[in-house]
Amino acid sequence: MFLLQAVPEMQPARLSLIYTAGLALMILWLGLGLVRGMRRRRSALSSVAPADMPAEVRQRLGATSTNRGLYALRWLFVVLALAVFGFHVYWARYAPETNDRFQELSYKDLRNRRLAESTLRGWILDRTGKLENAIALYKRQPDGKIEREYPLDREMAQLLGSERGDAGLERALFGASSQAVPEAIDVALGHDIKLPANLDVQLTISGELQKTAVEQLKDRHGAVVVLNPQTGEVLAMYSNPSYTIEEVQDEASWIKLNANERDRPLVNRALRAYYIPGSTFKTVVSIAAFISGIEGTQFTCSGAGFYAAQGSPPIFDSGGAGEVHGRVAIDRAYEVSCNQYFAQMALQLGPERLKQAAQLLGIGTYDDPADTTRGRRRPDIWNVSAPSLARALAPAEAAIVTNPKIRRYDLALEGFGQGYAGQMTTIQMAMVAATVANLEGKLMKPKLELNQPPAVFNQVLRPEQAAQMRRIMGLVTQGPEGTATSVFAGTVTSQGITSGGKTGTAEKEVPVYDPKTGEPKTVKRYERDRRGNIIREYEEIVIDREKKRIDSWFLCIAPLEYPQLAIAVIVEGGGYGAKAAAPIAAALVLKSRELGLLGQAGHPAGQPGQPAGQPQRPQPRRQPTPKPAAKPNQRIAARQ
Amino acid sequence: MKNRASSHLLALLLIFGFQVAGYYAVYRAALLRGFEPTLVGAVRDLLLYVPVFVFLFWLSRRMKFQGNWVLYTTAVLLFSLGALVQYRLYSDPEYNSRNKAEARAEKTQVLRQRFVNQFYGPDKKQFMGFAADPAQSQAQLTPQIARRSNITATSAFTSLYTWIPIVAFFAMACAYWACTRDGFLDWVQRHSFIVVLATLVPLGAAVATSSAGKALGNMTPWEPSKIPFLLGFAGILTAYYRDLAKTYWGLPRAQAIVPLLVMALIPFLPFFVLQDFGQMLVFSGAYATLYLVAVRRWPQLLVFVGSVVLVIGVLVAGSLPPSVQEKVPLLPALSRPVQAALPARIKQRFHLWLDGFDPPSPDTAWWKKDYEDALSRDARMKELAEQSPAMQKTVNVDVWFDRIAFQPSQATFGIASGGTTGRGLGLGFAEVIPVADSDYIYAAIGEELGLVGGAVVILALIVFVAAGVRTAIDARDMFTKLCSAGLTAFIGFQALVNIGGITRALPMTGITLPFVSHGGFSLITSFAMLGMLLAFSHRNARDAQAARPPERFRSVAAPAGGSITIPEAVE
Repeated sequence: MFLLQAVPEMQPARLSLIYTAGLALMILWLGLGLVRGMRRRRSALSSVAPADMPAEVRQRLGATSTNRGLYALRWLFVVLALAVFGFHVYWARYAPETNDRFQELSYKDLRNRRLAESTLRGWILDRTGKLENAIALYKRQPDGKIEREYPLDREMAQLLGSERGDAGLERALFGASSQAVPEAIDVALGHDIKLPANLDVQLTISGELQKTAVEQLKDRHGAVVVLNPQTGEVLAMYSNPSYTIEEVQDEASWIKLNANERDRPLVNRALRAYYIPGSTFKTVVSIAAFISGIEGTQFTCSGAGFYAAQGSPPIFDSGGAGEVHGRVAIDRAYEVSCNQYFAQMALQLGPERLKQAAQLLGIGTYDDPADTTRGRRRPDIWNVSAPSLARALAPAEAAIVTNPKIRRYDLALEGFGQGYAGQMTTIQMAMVAATVANLEGKLMKPKLELNQPPAVFNQVLRPEQAAQMRRIMGLVTQGPEGTATSVFAGTVTSQGITSGGKTGTAEKEVPVYDPKTGEPKTVKRYERDRRGNIIREYEEIVIDREKKRIDSWFLCIAPLEYPQLAIAVIVEGGGYGAKAAAPIAAALVLKSRELGLLGQAGHPAGQPGQPAGQPQRPQPRRQPTPKPAAKPNQRIAARQ
Repeated sequence: MKNRASSHLLALLLIFGFQVAGYYAVYRAALLRGFEPTLVGAVRDLLLYVPVFVFLFWLSRRMKFQGNWVLYTTAVLLFSLGALVQYRLYSDPEYNSRNKAEARAEKTQVLRQRFVNQFYGPDKKQFMGFAADPAQSQAQLTPQIARRSNITATSAFTSLYTWIPIVAFFAMACAYWACTRDGFLDWVQRHSFIVVLATLVPLGAAVATSSAGKALGNMTPWEPSKIPFLLGFAGILTAYYRDLAKTYWGLPRAQAIVPLLVMALIPFLPFFVLQDFGQMLVFSGAYATLYLVAVRRWPQLLVFVGSVVLVIGVLVAGSLPPSVQEKVPLLPALSRPVQAALPARIKQRFHLWLDGFDPPSPDTAWWKKDYEDALSRDARMKELAEQSPAMQKTVNVDVWFDRIAFQPSQATFGIASGGTTGRGLGLGFAEVIPVADSDYIYAAIGEELGLVGGAVVILALIVFVAAGVRTAIDARDMFTKLCSAGLTAFIGFQALVNIGGITRALPMTGITLPFVSHGGFSLITSFAMLGMLLAFSHRNARDAQAARPPERFRSVAAPAGGSITIPEAVE
């Protein structure tokens, strides 16, 4: 891949190193000469004073000698000079890695733009690897100039990033701070030269699927993440509204985008926007139940609601008091999305076991609710070749509260994805679905580069547990009472593709926006002291408590026997989960089959073999049974 | 290394050799970027080593120099480094071109063509729109040298860049010659106050006719005034330093203190008017050094050092960013009077230093004018800023980084991109830092030669200062002792203030790096100071060789009430 040709820069780089080293040697030589000369000097006094001067006089003269200040000056200067040089060391060696503000502002570094202009970056290809499907490439313009082009501009802008704003693939793979630009010594010695021109990157993203995601989310705010659960490949990742690369490069339009508080086009909703997961979080609780071995427990779902603690409000299902399921097991509870069941399951599990499951899934767990909203970044979930890429695309950490002293009511709310469970990201939910969909119950780290070997994030479930979970998820799209059965019946199921899923609905309080300016409405509030004098005046954003935004979630896995897709869809204000999000997932599944991404299992009987491009996929039947040693969850189960 | 002319001749020849290699590196790197740097300029720069060697022979043969050669060689080393980096910057068409965007675009296309030709296979070339036939596409992709330098021998000969170093070498020789004369030093010492007052006249005229600390373009004609001021202060201190030790109730007499205070304050007045706070900082450093050398009583020293630390501490604490001030109790109370007392320019520099990556709010007094000025030039930005507070914030950041913070932040990014060994001469992007050849030359060195290049500069300064302090230590009389210490401190502190400003260890002040920076009067002054130091060093060696008490000057290390007598100076 990397052509190790002799680069023409080698000669000036070598000469410049010779120059620097030569001057360094010269100054060391001069310094050594000076130090040696010093040792041989006599003291100033001895050359002035008479030879027969009495000892005590000599001592007194020495003590009052004016040279005391000069010796101090010399050391003072050495210390100050080294201190100043220490700052140079900091900027040159440590600031690019450790100083957050410095990294944030690196888009102000003209060198980034110079590098982008004056060297060739690698081409970014989609998973087909064909030049005509390239995502970022160079073209010769009519005037003979060579310019970078992005055929999938708005579709990929969030991932590609730009010189201004968030770093994406472009800056992480080819930017000034990445490994792609070598120092003089690397060029001179000719080792490890990765000129960006050589670094073509083949992504796991499928351009066509990405386009489908864009079509599906058209005019709606939301995000889509499509993973391959067996390898962790990201097949599509899109957040709407998006922007074009040109828009962010231009200063004025970038400022507009950045200040757009209502639509927030610069925020990648797939990675960095928090959503209340609603019922989709029941998948996490179910996984926790399986890990703990209490998946067989049955609970009663009554018309009177469930009281988590004395004096707390009752918990009902979405149908209110009218929805009664009676005594149910986990599969039926999941199929009909029974809140009461999962509230009781969460209490049965307790915060400790929920915490263990959440951590295996990559969800942060905190004791203090305030910590969950801090928006820490989780670069470690990515399976990448360069740390800069993981940093650039690090998702915000999804987090829940698992304080051992949590109130029973709060824990019950968490059980069905409300209350403290409200900090989930789209990619995190896709990873939850991918865990279930993985044949070995492993959570694979998501990856974007096709050549990157798959890496396991955690062994979450045992294979047979994962199979049971898949059966339960299958009930949602194929079962008689499944919440998404009607949506999938006419599309996916009728095409002969088996699937599973989970709907989710969450109400979120959002600010009221002024329709004219797009600014959130604010009211003035005053902080008063005891006597009623105004101490402070501040503006508070008005939140409409009557009209909440109803977010629509859908998790999907397909095909059920040998899942090749794990999809998470969020549509802001989409209404009930099956209404807005599930059709999007269905469309993505159908498009994937068309593109040959479902493998053999996705094709109806009679269609010939697997499409090209994925010969290395193992067949489901020949799946090796996992070794019992690699089961972290057994320890937990044994403790019950 | 022995302290002999022959050893240092060898050292200078080696430096010259490395210099030739450096110029060749710059030349080759420039060709790779599609422009041809000036050969005439390179030859001119290398010919400047003729006076360097001539001065060496003049010193050793004609003047029988016996002092410390290290001073000279180190200074030449620093000068060479500066000349090379300046050549690299000036040869870049983008750096001094009027139309930077056009120059950049030309460079860009040449580089891209080269890379395509070198790395891309026929399939990619064809896909990009080049001819399928390899020979044909080769022809399409052969980079053309876009720009050739238009400097001719005549324009080089008449250029200031040629003459300033020559004048500087000449000033060094003159200063050396004068300071080896006893009569001259004696006269200066006795008439030091008049010397200072006489200096004030042209200086005052220059101040009155200049704006913002600069005159005649980018020149600072008051740089040479450092030397008479230093001589004057050293002269007064030589006369009174023994009286400082005679204390009454712990305090020296007013008649010993007042002349010193007057002398110390005089140079601050013009620089305060000029708002040239870098020079004030350097002057304070040098005067503090002299006082440190001359004062004999610990309490006086402690009071002095303590008050300096207190003033600096109050200024820094008062200028800390608001986010820090909120956290520390009592700090806001302190900062209000400090903020009220500081001139706008200092506030701006302090902000850049302590909080340089975040702009002040547009309401801040010293920033408001610049901010509004920037908006009045760009109607689109102004419209955006008025739409909402969030937009105003974003606009503010952009204006901040395009205006005041532009140069320092580009310098910091440059240092960061240089890493340990640098990008290589001509291979970095030092040309994006404005005026990188004078105040910000250390940033250019840090980018292209890396930490190693920075270490060479720092080590050279340490060696120079150590040699200068050694000269002061060996001095036999108080006047030359104070002069050598002061000259060393001037050069050393000026360098530290400059480098510290670039590495954000200190506020940026806009003074040059001695010997390295391009800067007319600054270079001349630095070399004249070097000539004086060489002369003092030579005197010490001559005196030590004579192995007898010096009889030329009034004072030597004075016995504090000792019973022995040391021969008084013969007038």
